[in-house]
Amino acid sequence: MGDRFDELLAGPRLPRPHWSRIYEKLASVSRAEIDERQAAAERQIRDSGVTYNVYADPNGIERPWELDVLPFVISPEDWRVIEAGISQRAKLLNLILGDLYGDQELIRTGEIPATLIHGQSGFLRPAHQTRPAGGVHLHLYAADLARSPDGRWWVMADRTQAPSGAGYALENRLIVSRIFPTLFRDLRVQHLARFFATLRDSLMYHAPTGDGPTLTVLLTPGPYNETYFEHTLLARYLGFPLVEGGDLTVRGGRVWLKTLGGLRRVHAILRRQDDVWCDPLELRTDSALGVAGLTDCARRGTVLLANSLGSGLLESGALLGFLPRLCKQLLGEPLKLPSIATWWCGESAALHDALNNVDHVVFKSADPADWFDPIFGQDLDGIKLKELKRRLHAHPERFVAHEMVRFSQAPILGRTPQQPITARGIGLRVFAVASPTGYVLMPGGLTRVASNNDVRIMAMQRGGGSKDTWVLSDGPVDTGFTLLRSTVSVTELQRSSQSTPSRIAENLYWFGRFQERCDDEARLLREAMDQGLREDDDETLAIRPVLALASAYGIIDSKMPIEAELIAAAIDESKPCSLPANLRTLERLAHTLRDRVSLDNLRTINSLLRSPLLGRRTPTLAAVVGWLNQTVTNLTTLSGFAIDGMTRDSGWRFLSIGRRLERLIFQCLSLRIALDSGPDSGLTWLLRLSDSIVTYHSRYMSRPEWLPVLDLLMQDITNPRSIAFQSNGICGYLKLIESTYGNYGSERFAAAAEALSGTKPSDLNPESDNLRARLISLHDEALKLNDHLSQCYFSHVRSSSFLEQVY
Amino acid sequence: MTATVRYRVIHETAYDYSEEVTSSHQLAHLSPRITPWQKVISSHVTITPEPSESSQGIDYFGNDLVRAFVEIPHDRLTVLAESVVEISSNALRPEALSPSWELAAQPTDGLGDKGNDIEQYRLASPMIPRLAGCARYARESFRTGRPWLEAAFELTKRIHNEFTYDPTATDLNTPVAKVLATRTGVCQDYANFMISCLRSLNMPARYVSGYILNRAAPGAEKLAGADASHAWVLAYCPDLGWVAFDPTNGKLADLEFITLGWGREYTDVTPLRGVVLGAAQQTMSIAVEVEPIAC
Repeated sequence: MGDRFDELLAGPRLPRPHWSRIYEKLASVSRAEIDERQAAAERQIRDSGVTYNVYADPNGIERPWELDVLPFVISPEDWRVIEAGISQRAKLLNLILGDLYGDQELIRTGEIPATLIHGQSGFLRPAHQTRPAGGVHLHLYAADLARSPDGRWWVMADRTQAPSGAGYALENRLIVSRIFPTLFRDLRVQHLARFFATLRDSLMYHAPTGDGPTLTVLLTPGPYNETYFEHTLLARYLGFPLVEGGDLTVRGGRVWLKTLGGLRRVHAILRRQDDVWCDPLELRTDSALGVAGLTDCARRGTVLLANSLGSGLLESGALLGFLPRLCKQLLGEPLKLPSIATWWCGESAALHDALNNVDHVVFKSADPADWFDPIFGQDLDGIKLKELKRRLHAHPERFVAHEMVRFSQAPILGRTPQQPITARGIGLRVFAVASPTGYVLMPGGLTRVASNNDVRIMAMQRGGGSKDTWVLSDGPVDTGFTLLRSTVSVTELQRSSQSTPSRIAENLYWFGRFQERCDDEARLLREAMDQGLREDDDETLAIRPVLALASAYGIIDSKMPIEAELIAAAIDESKPCSLPANLRTLERLAHTLRDRVSLDNLRTINSLLRSPLLGRRTPTLAAVVGWLNQTVTNLTTLSGFAIDGMTRDSGWRFLSIGRRLERLIFQCLSLRIALDSGPDSGLTWLLRLSDSIVTYHSRYMSRPEWLPVLDLLMQDITNPRSIAFQSNGICGYLKLIESTYGNYGSERFAAAAEALSGTKPSDLNPESDNLRARLISLHDEALKLNDHLSQCYFSHVRSSSFLEQVY
Repeated sequence: MTATVRYRVIHETAYDYSEEVTSSHQLAHLSPRITPWQKVISSHVTITPEPSESSQGIDYFGNDLVRAFVEIPHDRLTVLAESVVEISSNALRPEALSPSWELAAQPTDGLGDKGNDIEQYRLASPMIPRLAGCARYARESFRTGRPWLEAAFELTKRIHNEFTYDPTATDLNTPVAKVLATRTGVCQDYANFMISCLRSLNMPARYVSGYILNRAAPGAEKLAGADASHAWVLAYCPDLGWVAFDPTNGKLADLEFITLGWGREYTDVTPLRGVVLGAAQQTMSIAVEVEPIAC
């Protein structure tokens, strides 16, 4: 203590009053109990899939969110200071944005140096003269706060573009409030729900109207963004469709969402996409993520962008030093919450000051787009200091210098029994939303804990942890409504099929197809390997059609040594079309559908891909068969999720069509191979492959014969493995889709299916050309149906390409 | 030399696509800018197939801009810009008096509208950085206390003399540092290099996009970049204001230069850019014709 503010203790063993309840609690419970609660939190994080993606993380792109279960507590008095300061600051920054993207009075009069603004890559000239409704550029604002040794709060940085963290704060609350339910209630902690409702309603209030009910979407750069989990959580919580740039299109000066039902007007976009990537036409031309023409729509006011394009400009630390004067000028009052001392080195006096205090300052980039690791003056030896000075003098305008902050410290759970509780530096990110009556704060926020490696740095990217933030109330707590469902459900239901983006439908369709493809492949490989293991004279001939089928299905090369080929197809991910390669595709699809299908899907697939067998060079055949059995079981579980856990809307129908079409194609192929192999090969393999052997034996009590086998596998509509069962289902789903989205001509497929199921019993034998022709015809029509679906429903999903004139 | 001349400019761009394009957003900087020395008598941009909507606007730098959206399926898109402009001589003689260049390197006092505009051209932009090498190159002409115009004109001529015009050596994205090293390129590289030289000494400079008249008189050296889009430089000095230099041809830009617009660099005034849906590949052809006509 001494050089840091201690949040918990006012003196030795003397907790501050607002911490006393927690202090007592910690003293009264055993270490084991605390560990149990932390473990419960971690379990919950894993189960609900809370992640933070770190690009450079060698352990894969997803890392579990780190949460310390001890909440960070803020007294009502402290909160009043923060609330007044942040709402004033949001208002001020909004006015500055309005000026810089409007008349630029502040530059012309020299209040803000011209070179500071014109030199920022965040200053988007195409966004100039955009005048959003109500003058609101800044809809959602966040500030990073720290507390100095004297107990005052300071603003370290402004987040004005697409602030992240509100969703994580919400998730932390959901977890921690359940872990300390009594404390949470007794301490009168303010609730967060109202804030999110205000965000939702305010966007709707400020959005333009027309072309149907107001539609707000959440625009994400996609699953590989580091905060993608938060995008899915917020979209779900706020009830906004989660879309990517490719889901939107600009027509007639307006923005539209491509849905299965056609185009739907979008009135407001809550974006998590950075400024420059939003529009390949007017902003970064190499952006594959953006929406061509979006800038012009914003300029015309036909769509609300939260935050407005170019608002990232204010994230430059270079502006901090100018705020006190700007506040007096624009609001006629002093700045309530100070920023940490900051010098923009582009001003020579400031550069001089910074260099005179070099041991106490941190040098950072003045341009967020030009980011480099902060340079701590105190770390520099003579040579490095000289190098820094050289850089500073060459391009002073590129640097800001911050006073070094000594973060206040709060209690966290220690990792060893000797040290059950330790103190660690913390910072607080708070959030404000522009409501029709002014800026409203989230009563809480995301508390960030300094990383183990460098206590001076606080960034989730750098391995820091987080805490729930409890703002105590001395009045009644607003326990009002909540937008939240009671738990995270197993499968996310679609809100309304009217806003199902075409991309989602397409991914669901392929998700269905690949599930089935993996299942077919696993069964086929298992059958082939079983045949190899079995020394049963009766069936030795059966290996031939099985291998022929595997070859026709494209998973083995029959000219190569068979056993090696089969093993490679089963466990070698680097081999195209191998089972693990297809499982990987399935995993990728599940990942893109994270706001549509449950995490159980992802877990079920993941557990297969994590098998140590996959990396092994010479596994035993028995081990591989064991893994194939596991695969079949897990895939059955997946189909269980779809049958038992999803609402029957159009998205589900596309998934089901995908499954059934794939199975139908496989079944057609299997039967053709069986028919071609002649009667000597037996039919047991075919029944086993089709998971119909039990049914057959219970019905016929005899060795398999053509007539009953073909009846069971082709025409029996009660057998979920028969061709008739697949085509019936497909035709039924197509009718429903067509009734909503218009006829698109599935008649040819229906006719071919009917022809096959109408085949006379006298034709149910390998000698019948009639049977073979009908089977081939249905097989062809099934492949055509795939193309047809793509054209009708998915074609406008194709990504755009960019072309620029060369001269 | 006559005091005014009139030109008709026809600039046709055609894209042929490998597959049918179903949606095409285009952004064109193809309408000549009105300036104190350039009147725009007429200007039309015609896009085929016909856009379902198009609008005119003015960009941040004050240039005219056409936005268009085509949704008729097509495998060929043409953009025809036809303009008639009248240019009056704004010729400054290279010997004219000017203040010492150090004055041009000072930030504008009492900014106002004009200063706010000028200051942005002093800074590096994404494609045109400030480089120590460019500063050294420029300092050979910008010797201490030397009049700005004399030094700038000498720089223009040095670039023209010391650089090799070679359309095969560079492309649109060739960095200035490479141009500095190889001293080859086309008009865009010449202009970028000169702008970088000036900005590296803290002087404001604009990138100008336009056309130059092909006026190859018998025996005379043909102007490089003739009958094509051209690029040159506007540089600023207090007292004189903005003066146009053409480093590609080593001269002050005058009657034969038709200005489309200006910005910090090429990307601010790209003649035509677009985003299309549906085509994997495209081939482009451009035809430019500049013809003097009777006033």
